[in-house]
Amino acid sequence: MILGSPLTPLEDILRNVLDWLHGSIGLSWAWSIVALTVIVRLLLVPLMVRQIHSMQNLQRHAPQMKELQKKYKADKKRQQEELMKFYRENNINPAASCLPLLAQFPVFISLYLVLRHFSKHPPPGDLSWLHGFVPNIAAHASSHWSGFVLLAIYVVSQLVSTLLMATTMDKTQRTMLLVLPVAFVFFLVNFPVGLVIYWVTTNLWTVGQGLITRQMMPKPAPPPRRSSRTPPQEETPPEDGARDTATVPAPAAAPAAPKRVRRKRKKRGGARR
Amino acid sequence: MRYALRAPTYAGLAVVYAYRWTLGVLWGGRCKYHPTCSQYALDALRHYGLVRGSILACWRLLRCNPWSRGGVDYAEKQRLFR
Repeated sequence: MILGSPLTPLEDILRNVLDWLHGSIGLSWAWSIVALTVIVRLLLVPLMVRQIHSMQNLQRHAPQMKELQKKYKADKKRQQEELMKFYRENNINPAASCLPLLAQFPVFISLYLVLRHFSKHPPPGDLSWLHGFVPNIAAHASSHWSGFVLLAIYVVSQLVSTLLMATTMDKTQRTMLLVLPVAFVFFLVNFPVGLVIYWVTTNLWTVGQGLITRQMMPKPAPPPRRSSRTPPQEETPPEDGARDTATVPAPAAAPAAPKRVRRKRKKRGGARR
Repeated sequence: MRYALRAPTYAGLAVVYAYRWTLGVLWGGRCKYHPTCSQYALDALRHYGLVRGSILACWRLLRCNPWSRGGVDYAEKQRLFR
């Protein structure tokens, strides 16, 4: 109850949205939860798009950043600081920011409260899911074997989504990632099944989003120059801003546009032989 | 006695560490600021106590959104409480 009080408005909103999805749209309670999850994630899509853009920007500046890293190899703290300064100067957004991640957390807690309310005062309507595969979404996940199936799906989807999202990490982090979802199962067993449905849905969304993002983003391929025989070109910085603009006016605005080699659809079928 | 007075701060620190060891690892969150948000929260709590530290940490979290630019930002250099 104490935990609920600051979140009561959000709980009410969630309850209203669920009521609307159930009453007006006519979804079952379980599907309403799925729909709610999708709505939450749809609202977060603009953030995602923004992140993709910044990732691309990041890749564009990768060589310079490598140089910075090399320069301050000895001093990790300094290195980090310089990198951050570099981001700022070049208007780069490093991939993640904390707020979107945390924004999902209140939703999760509120949904937990709503479902807890459901288990005490069952709302009118069917609380089962997928023709009785899950008999009651307000009951604990451990109360029926289907709960364990969902938990298994949760673990797998969690692993896949985190591995997809997190590109850079060290070994300890990686092992933690593999262990934690399994450890979380012991908590989630005591949670309402509906919450597991939420979690699974959001994970699957993350996986799908990650796959689409991968398609959209060019691989951080090593610069093609590297393998060629020509000596590595130094990116000659413009000596004088004024003179530079006089000679090459237009391209100066967009320095080092990513030379994306478009070889996506090149003779896929191989019919010409 | 000193430690007893700082108990609320330790509670706050515990919350941050709890986040770090569970969700933080799970999400693999990378922050756009130099001391990450959780590190900033720890520093702020240690330096300014629970109330002011929490406010600073919340403010930092709000700033850590996709539209901000990030950068180097230490808790000790804050200008909210002077």
